[in-house]
Amino acid sequence: MYRLNIYIGSGAVLFALVGLFLWVPQDTGTGLVVQVRRQVTIGDAFAPTIAFSLMAIGGALLLIEQRQHTSIKVPLAPFLHTAALVAVIAFGLLLMRHAGPGLLFVAEGFGGTDTEYRLLRETFPWKYIGYFLGGVTMIGGMASLSAGRLQARTALIAVAVTMGLIALVDVPFDDLLLPPNGDY
Amino acid sequence: MQPLEYILAGMQAVIFGPAAFELLGVPIPLTLVMVFAGVVTGILVGATPGLAGPMAMAISLPILISFFGYNVEALLPVLGFLIGIMKGATLGGAVPAILFNTPGTPDAYMTTLDGYPLTQRGQSRKALKVAHLSSVSGDTFSDIALFVCAPFVALMVERHLDFPEKTALLILSLSFIAAVIGGSPGKGLISVALGLIAVFIGGGEDFYPRLSLGTDALAGGFSIMTAILGVLIVGAVLKEYEDLWHRSNLSGARERIVDHGDQRLTRAEVLRIAPYIGQSSLVGTIIGALPGIGTTLAAALGYQLGRARYVRRRPEGAPAFGEGAIEGVAATEAANSSVSGSNLIPVLGLGIPGNAAAVFIILATDSIGGFTPGPSVFRFSESVVNTELVLVFGLFTAMLFANLVNWTFGGAFMRAATVMVRVPKRTLLPVVLLLTFTAVYAQEPSMESLWFTLGFGILGYLMRKVDMSPLPFVIAFVLGGSLENSARQAFSATGGDPYFLFSSWISIIFLAGSVVTVVLALRQKRTNSTRA
Repeated sequence: MYRLNIYIGSGAVLFALVGLFLWVPQDTGTGLVVQVRRQVTIGDAFAPTIAFSLMAIGGALLLIEQRQHTSIKVPLAPFLHTAALVAVIAFGLLLMRHAGPGLLFVAEGFGGTDTEYRLLRETFPWKYIGYFLGGVTMIGGMASLSAGRLQARTALIAVAVTMGLIALVDVPFDDLLLPPNGDY
Repeated sequence: MQPLEYILAGMQAVIFGPAAFELLGVPIPLTLVMVFAGVVTGILVGATPGLAGPMAMAISLPILISFFGYNVEALLPVLGFLIGIMKGATLGGAVPAILFNTPGTPDAYMTTLDGYPLTQRGQSRKALKVAHLSSVSGDTFSDIALFVCAPFVALMVERHLDFPEKTALLILSLSFIAAVIGGSPGKGLISVALGLIAVFIGGGEDFYPRLSLGTDALAGGFSIMTAILGVLIVGAVLKEYEDLWHRSNLSGARERIVDHGDQRLTRAEVLRIAPYIGQSSLVGTIIGALPGIGTTLAAALGYQLGRARYVRRRPEGAPAFGEGAIEGVAATEAANSSVSGSNLIPVLGLGIPGNAAAVFIILATDSIGGFTPGPSVFRFSESVVNTELVLVFGLFTAMLFANLVNWTFGGAFMRAATVMVRVPKRTLLPVVLLLTFTAVYAQEPSMESLWFTLGFGILGYLMRKVDMSPLPFVIAFVLGGSLENSARQAFSATGGDPYFLFSSWISIIFLAGSVVTVVLALRQKRTNSTRA
C-alpha cells in the first residue's frame, strides 16, 4: 500500500520551495516588481511566484486532507506497460523524423540520388516515408502490445489506416505538411 | 446599429456567407454545412466508447484552421463545426449506454441505469427515442438561456468591473474550478499551479525568456496546442490503453439486440416525461453556467431529482427508477445535454472556459483571431458596427441550426451510430494518437512540438493515474496569460498600489469567495472521509 497522496503533497511542497527559492530567482530577468522610468510595474518573477505559492498551498492542503485517510493502491505493472507504450510511441516519432532522410542517405550511398531532403520533401514517395513508417509503427506497435502478440492482421490494419490518414489529411489540404517535412 | 439589426446581421452572416457548393443553382452556406458535418461527427464520436466530443474538437481544430486559414471569415465555419460536435456528442453518448450498457461519454453513465434495462425488455428503440427527445429538448432550453443570459452577464461585467475586479474574478474562477473538480481541492490547486507554471515558461516582458533554464527549447514556451492536446488527448489515450490492458476488449463481441412490442413514443408517454425533462433542463442549465462542474454532476443531480419526483408520482405497475423507467432516461439525458449551451455563458460573457469543450471554443477564437470572447463582445454600439457582436449572433444562429439538425435527423443518426460501438478500441486509440500528432504538426510544423505533446501526454496520464483532474491544468494554461496581463494593467492603473486587488469591495468579495470555495470544498472532503 502506498501513501500516494502524502507523497504527492510532499512532492508538491518541495517542488514549490525549489521553484520559489531557486528556479524563479535564478531564471527570470526581472524581480517581483520593476521600476522603469520612475514607474513601478510588475516584474517577470511575479506570476511564477504566485504559481509556485499556489503549488505549495495545494500540496499543504493535500497533506491536511490526508491526515486521517489514505490512500490509493498503485501496482507497478500498469506503469511498466505504459512505459513500454511510450517507448513504442517515441520509436514511432524517431522513425517519423529520421526514416526519410535516412533512406535518402542510403540511396546516396548507392548513387541513386544526390539531392538533399529539403528539396524532395514535397515529392512522392519522400514526403510520405517518415509519416508512413512512423505511423505504422505506432498503430501496429501499440495494438500488438495491448493484445500481447504480433499479428499480420494488426500490421495490415496499421498500414491501411496510415494510408487512409495520408489520403484524408494530405491529399485534400495543399498547405498542410506531414511530419517531418515542416522541419526542413 | 440597433440590437435587432445586429441579430439580423448575424443571421445573414451565416445564411448569406460563403457558399460550400451549389445545389440546383442554390448556394448552400458553408457554415450550415460545417454545422451539419459537426453534428454528424459528434454523434458518431459520442457513440464510440473511449472517444469524447472534446477529443474530436481537439483533433479537428488545427486541421480546420490549416484549411480555412487565419481570417475572420473562418470563424463561423470552424466554430460551427466545433459546436456541432459538442451538441452531437451528448446525443451520441446515449447510444452505447442504452444498447450495450457502456456509456459512450462519462455523463451518459446514469443513462445506462434505465436505458439498458429497457433494451433487455426489447424496448431499445423506444429508449433511444426518449433519449433523443430529452437530449434535444434540454439542449434547446439551454441555448435559449445562453441567448438571454450571456449579454446581461457581459454588460454587468463591463459596467461594474475594472482591471482589479477582473483579475479577482479570474482568481475566483480558477479557485472554484480547483475546488470542485475531482473532489480534492489540494489536487485541484496543484493542477492549476502546474498549468500556470507551464504557461509562464518562456513568457514575460523582459528580453530574457523566464524559466527557460537557458535552453532554446524552452525559450519559446509551450504552445497551447501541445499542452492541451497532450494533457487531454494523449494522456487520455495512454490511460485508456492501460485500462484496456486490465480488461479484455469488449468492443468486439456484443449480444444481439432484439426488439419486440410497440416502439412508438405515445403522446401520453411524452406528457409523462415532460416534467422530468423540464426539471432536468433547468438543473443542467444552472450547473452548466458554473465553470468546472460539468455534465456528469448535472446528469447525477438530474437523475436524483427525477427519482425523488418519480417516487411520489409513479404510475401503478410501472418499473422503478433503475429498472427501465423511461422517466429515468429522460431525466439524465435532458440534464447532461442542457449543460452544452449554458456552459458558453462564462465563455462568451466573461472569456472564461468552464469545461473542456469550451476550452476549444476559446482556443479556436484565439488561434484564428478577430474575435476575443469576453464582456466587450456584447457592446451594442450604434455608431460603429461591433463585428464581434455580429459574429456572436452568427454563432447563435449556427447553434439553432445544430439543434434543428438534432431534432430532425438526430434520431436517425443515433440509430445509425450503433455501428461505432463495434470499432475495437485497441485499433481506434492509436489512430486517435496519430491523428492528434498530425493535428499538432499541422498547427506547428516542427518535430519538437510532437515531443512536447508526448511529454504533456505523460503528465496527463500521471495526473489521471493519481486521481488528479487535468481540466484545472488546461483551464489555468488557457487563462494564465490573461491573468498576468490583467494583474499588470491593474497594478499600473492603480499607480503601483501593492494592494490593488483590495482596491474595491467587488474584488474583495471575489477574493473572499476564492478562499471560502476552497475551504468549503476541503471541509466537505474531510466530512466525506470521516463518514467513509
